[in-house]
Amino acid sequence: MQNTLSLFHLAAAPSLRPHRSTLAALLLCANIGLLLYLAAGTPAGWAGIDWLDVVGEGGSALLTLVWLVMLLRSRPPGRVTRWLSGGLGCVFFSLWMDCLDEFVKLPDAVTWDKWLESGPMPVGLLLITVGLYHWHCEQRAISAQMEKRERLFREHRLFDKLTPLAGAEYLRRQLDLSLRQARAERRPLSLVALDIDDFDAVNRRFGHGEGDALLLALSHLLLLNLRHQDLLCRLAGDRFVVLLPDTGERVAQDIACELEAAVASFAYHTQGQDERLRLRARTAALMAVDEDAETLLRRLNLGLRDERRDTPPAA
Amino acid sequence: MAPPRAPAASWYECDEAFIPALHQPAVAIDLALSRGHSLRAMLRGTGMTEDALRAGRLLVSPRQYLALLDNLERLMDAPDTGFLLGQRLLPGQYGVHSQALRGAADLLEALERLVAARALLTPLLAPRLHLDARHACLYWVDACGCGDQRRLLVESAMTAVVAMARALTGRRLPWQFHLAHPQPRHVEQYWVHLGDDLRFDCRMDRIGIAREHLHQPLPDHAALAGPAACAASRAQIAALPGEAGFLDRVHEYLCAHSGLPLNLERVAEAFGTSPATFKRKLHKHGTTFQAQFDAARTHVALHLYEREGLGNEAVAARLSFSDTTNFRRSFRRWTGCAPSELRRLLRGG
Repeated sequence: MQNTLSLFHLAAAPSLRPHRSTLAALLLCANIGLLLYLAAGTPAGWAGIDWLDVVGEGGSALLTLVWLVMLLRSRPPGRVTRWLSGGLGCVFFSLWMDCLDEFVKLPDAVTWDKWLESGPMPVGLLLITVGLYHWHCEQRAISAQMEKRERLFREHRLFDKLTPLAGAEYLRRQLDLSLRQARAERRPLSLVALDIDDFDAVNRRFGHGEGDALLLALSHLLLLNLRHQDLLCRLAGDRFVVLLPDTGERVAQDIACELEAAVASFAYHTQGQDERLRLRARTAALMAVDEDAETLLRRLNLGLRDERRDTPPAA
Repeated sequence: MAPPRAPAASWYECDEAFIPALHQPAVAIDLALSRGHSLRAMLRGTGMTEDALRAGRLLVSPRQYLALLDNLERLMDAPDTGFLLGQRLLPGQYGVHSQALRGAADLLEALERLVAARALLTPLLAPRLHLDARHACLYWVDACGCGDQRRLLVESAMTAVVAMARALTGRRLPWQFHLAHPQPRHVEQYWVHLGDDLRFDCRMDRIGIAREHLHQPLPDHAALAGPAACAASRAQIAALPGEAGFLDRVHEYLCAHSGLPLNLERVAEAFGTSPATFKRKLHKHGTTFQAQFDAARTHVALHLYEREGLGNEAVAARLSFSDTTNFRRSFRRWTGCAPSELRRLLRGG
């Protein structure tokens, strides 16, 4: 659990800081190339410059640099980042040298400039290819970590801002897809909703920061108690919903009971006062009949309310 | 005939700085900070500075508080922002005002104290309490021009009262919710933070409950400290530029005199200003006389239908319409639907 947590935080704060040496090396190379050209050749007159070439090659070099910065900003350092940034660096260098020869005329005796212009390009493309392959492997590993939190499609804008789960909007879209799939394949589909009793009291007694930490811990606890094909989302506040594909009402009831038991035996200690909290969850389970996502969610929600009426108020 | 004078003619306007920044604005800032946003981003465009905020005695205007909430909503970019804010607002940590709420004998007294101290406890959206033999309802009026932020403010105001009632009574009460806006995409936030008994598209924002729930003695009732805190709270409110927002006062006046043939000139006279100044003030708060007048008459009409059980003819007469056809046409213009439709909506049919 600790691992997933730190992974999440690492990914949450991308910055260029750890990549400063990579960028510095690239700028140094570009500078050396420029100096070499200036030492060996003479500046071309304004008349000798082909501006179409300058815009085409210079613009491509600039865009490659933008890609490189975007890549570095969005990734922590590591093997895949090294392959991809090295490849993009080579491509940038090649295009840069290509653009420079528009401004500096080299004597015909010089042949190394061809190597500097055309050599790094295939190397760079090769490096990018290797990088992309490893990126694909990495993506599969990360997807495995996202198991039970993501199904069928990815949309980062629908992720919850607090817990590492998706929110209600993602659930709605998933539910739409899954309902259609279940109907087409004539398989059952069930939902379980879970709500923590008197969660407000935790916020009031220990502060909202503690309530947030508890929600985060609960989301991990619930994930551990689900099967690999299930999807856990946070609907709102302290209410979670589990989408159970290929599951009938009976099994859904059993899963709901298991989740309740898991929450009841969860030994959560507050961060501030280190106090042991005793939590109780309330659940509702139901199977989808012929209805759309919105009606199903509403029915599930009303199921929780009926449960609530049966239990005496915790005064 | 001279128009009746506006009672208690003191009000605050949207550009008067009187809200202590360390009260509710600080709650909004803390919420943003707890989600990893920077203080600088929160204060951008509000005219508040970090130094003045840290010095502790900064006062902000309703307009600045509104700009702060605008930043909050944009930075949080989540459907639960209003609800998270509301959970943190009441009874809050606002000195004697919070003590007065906490020390109330019953929920009704707490709500009355909330309404009395609304200038500081909910400066943007003013709560008003309506009581009859069996029902109580609390509805909210725009105090000084909240514009596009109305939904966020309503969500947070309702959540604040529901959370306060829950904290004071220790129970989850069966509130009924009427909301002016159409059902939003994130209706699940309403289910979880407010309750299931929701009606949208109602042309007014109010919560209702059976009166018996308001008279249960509260466990934390402070028989001695409660009234003392309440008196201190009232004294502080009296020292403000006004006890209610400008639009709140206008609404109050228009509702109280809805039977009279009112127009801009007469109301301006009652408020002791020239029609031009009155019009300018309304404009400053993002509204017009006609909009306020229509909203007030809708409000009175619904009250007469629901609480006094009057029919179309009686309501038309009370609002000084010459005939029902005329009244029904006007009602449709104010609300977009016929009286019977809206009454059915409010009943939840």
